[in-house]
Amino acid sequence: MDELLAQFLIESRELVDNAVDDLLALEKAPNDPKRFDDVFRAFHTLKGGAGIVDFAAMQTALHFAEGALAAARTESRPVTALDIGNCLSCLDRVTEWLDDIESAGAIPADADAADIVALFGPAHAAPPAPAAAPGAVVGDDWVAALLSTRAAVASRARTALRYTPAADSFFRREDPLARVAALPGLLAVDLGPRTPWATLDELDPFSCNLTITALLASSRSDAAAALGTESRYCDLQSLADRSRVRDESLARKAEELLEAQLQLLESAEDAHQHGRVASAGLAAANVLRYIGRSSEADAVATAAAVAIAESRLEPLLEAIGAAARGAPPAAADVETSTARLGGARQTIRVTAERIDALVRLTGELIVSNNAIGHAVKVAEQEGSSLAVTLKNQHAALNRLVAELQRAVVGMRVLPLSVAFRRFPRLVREMSAELKKPANLVLDGEDTEADKAIVETLVEPLVHLLRNALDHGVEDTASRAAAGKPDVATIHLRAFREGEHVVVEVTDDGAGIDVAKIKQVARERSLAAADDLAVMTDEQALDLIFLPGFSTAKTVTELSGRGVGMDAVRTAVGRLGGQVDVRSAAGKGTTVRVTLPFSVLVTQVMTVEAGGQLFGIPLDAIVETLRVEKDRIFPVGAAHAIVLRNRTIPLVRLADVLTRRSKHQRDDEGPIVIAQLGGDLGAVQVDRIGERMDVILKPLEGLLSGVPGLAGSTLLGDGSVLLVLDLGELVQ
Amino acid sequence: MTVQAIRQGVIELSGRCGADDAEALQQQLLAMPGATVEWSNCEHLHSAVVQVLLVGAPRMRGAPKNAFLKTHIAPILGRSAK
Repeated sequence: MDELLAQFLIESRELVDNAVDDLLALEKAPNDPKRFDDVFRAFHTLKGGAGIVDFAAMQTALHFAEGALAAARTESRPVTALDIGNCLSCLDRVTEWLDDIESAGAIPADADAADIVALFGPAHAAPPAPAAAPGAVVGDDWVAALLSTRAAVASRARTALRYTPAADSFFRREDPLARVAALPGLLAVDLGPRTPWATLDELDPFSCNLTITALLASSRSDAAAALGTESRYCDLQSLADRSRVRDESLARKAEELLEAQLQLLESAEDAHQHGRVASAGLAAANVLRYIGRSSEADAVATAAAVAIAESRLEPLLEAIGAAARGAPPAAADVETSTARLGGARQTIRVTAERIDALVRLTGELIVSNNAIGHAVKVAEQEGSSLAVTLKNQHAALNRLVAELQRAVVGMRVLPLSVAFRRFPRLVREMSAELKKPANLVLDGEDTEADKAIVETLVEPLVHLLRNALDHGVEDTASRAAAGKPDVATIHLRAFREGEHVVVEVTDDGAGIDVAKIKQVARERSLAAADDLAVMTDEQALDLIFLPGFSTAKTVTELSGRGVGMDAVRTAVGRLGGQVDVRSAAGKGTTVRVTLPFSVLVTQVMTVEAGGQLFGIPLDAIVETLRVEKDRIFPVGAAHAIVLRNRTIPLVRLADVLTRRSKHQRDDEGPIVIAQLGGDLGAVQVDRIGERMDVILKPLEGLLSGVPGLAGSTLLGDGSVLLVLDLGELVQ
Repeated sequence: MTVQAIRQGVIELSGRCGADDAEALQQQLLAMPGATVEWSNCEHLHSAVVQVLLVGAPRMRGAPKNAFLKTHIAPILGRSAK
């Protein structure tokens, strides 16, 4: 894919996201002119981008969306929900197109905006289909019509002209077309009638009825000058918005290049490296000349000459620095999207693969560092003379590796808003579909988490939001009866809790009916009647996470597609997280998802069982303890312990791993109490080892199918440590 | 004379066609419905003449040497031709 198109993709996706946010914000405050401007600007900038890559269909679709918004403004009425819905559909289509471009590497040739245009009503639905009525220009659509019919030159156009000469022009010896022909930078011309044409026999050949539209590569002021007195019959529109986007990306690139020269110079050992100084100076001057800042280019060239002559870097550093600082687009009328883009200018786009490569390498480095640590210990034991030096060096290396690890983890961090941003729209649509008015309140979307977590979190959260609205929130009548406001509130809250990120979905609905949960569990034989009878509410609530559990009376379009809360728990569990639910009858339900901050490093505790070393993720471990032999008692064929008045089933890790059961009451060993699914379980091991940070590698090949294994990692001495997934193992 | 019927069904526009030629062209087109207009030798067309061509929409033949006519006006007339 060519670079322009790649850049267009990235920017358009950002703009679509912004436009969706802005539209939803506008829907909440339909009379807020500031919001309106935001939305309008977002659509306009998107349209401009489509023009630059000559994507006519996208331009047309966005043009009509923009037109609908503009109509609301000129009629000074608030934007309706219908308008918003249509605009969102338009953005959906744009996203589809962007996806197509991404997969095909080119603009889809068959892209058609007709159905989007039709959305915006018959009033707008006439032009500008390129072949249909190219001359017929209606109202303010003329610029877009002209641009879309003359797509080949549209990207070079800086000014659009509509010239409607007076009817008596010919008498005044005026030849409008000759005037247009003489305009500087003429790119395209179109002709149409000012009022509908008469038939040939009724045409007054001495009365001018032409409307001339044209695209010019010259500036608006140059065009106005060339039109002279006739400019009073002209509508000249600067297409600067469109070229501004281009200028801006050019300026940004220029700035990057200048910065690169500065870095090159700063890394020069001393000013005697004339070759490096000269090439940096030349490159910077060329960049400046290319973007039309020739006076600064000359200054840089002079400074480079001085720097070489005096063997001093300062003059050149200063000159390039001054140019780089002045690099943002100098246009005085930049009031639009630059603020938004301005924030992004401090960032460099790096593909996720590169970061992942860095993460992988850091992982290897940590493993290698652990190995060196092991070697140092061996050297110490052997009394090697190098031991002290090695130990000191290893301490320094250790610190650096830890810092690198923190930096890499930081790089992969994204704010949760990346995942949250699509939810307001989702809730809006679901609420319309279910006819349950609801308001989504976001909180703490700035909370950061690892990229993998943020991305994987989307689907479980979609499910939780659906559940909240579909099953949690009551219908309007019940809400009224319960004295609740008509519009339900769903809170999506995120916050950091130590090494964990917590996301909560809270609704103000009816809460979960525990009795009903138990009843369903009984009907579907998900739990034994005896167990159900003694279950606390808390335990009963946890039943909703069992596979095959669904209390929805009717299978709705939204929920009930065979995925239940068990899918949520599985997805979150895969990330090393937990889900639990709290509910208060009549007041609402809260589902809490707790996730590790980073997936890069997993804390494990090593345990020995059956003569082998294993790792258990620390997340799963509640506590470790030692119990007297006589406190282990048999329950049927199995064993259990009683801990703080709770009976906890006990298994021996060695037995589970060898799939044999030879548990004897006199077997001794520490016990690990772990969270297994929703319940506590006790796992007896032979010995408890140390805690360590490891880079967990997913299992590959033959081992990948083995249940109960979360992954593997390399120990300092080069041996492989298998990390267990206790929950899976004990089942 | 820059507008003339050179033979049955063909009208030629040549040289610089001024505003006055518009009426002559209109009459010619009305007299010969379905006529073709030959404009290879046309150097300039006044807006008034272009207007008549737009309404009369005759078939255009040849390519004028003038760049503006060739690049910008010919496609428009070609599009409106019946």
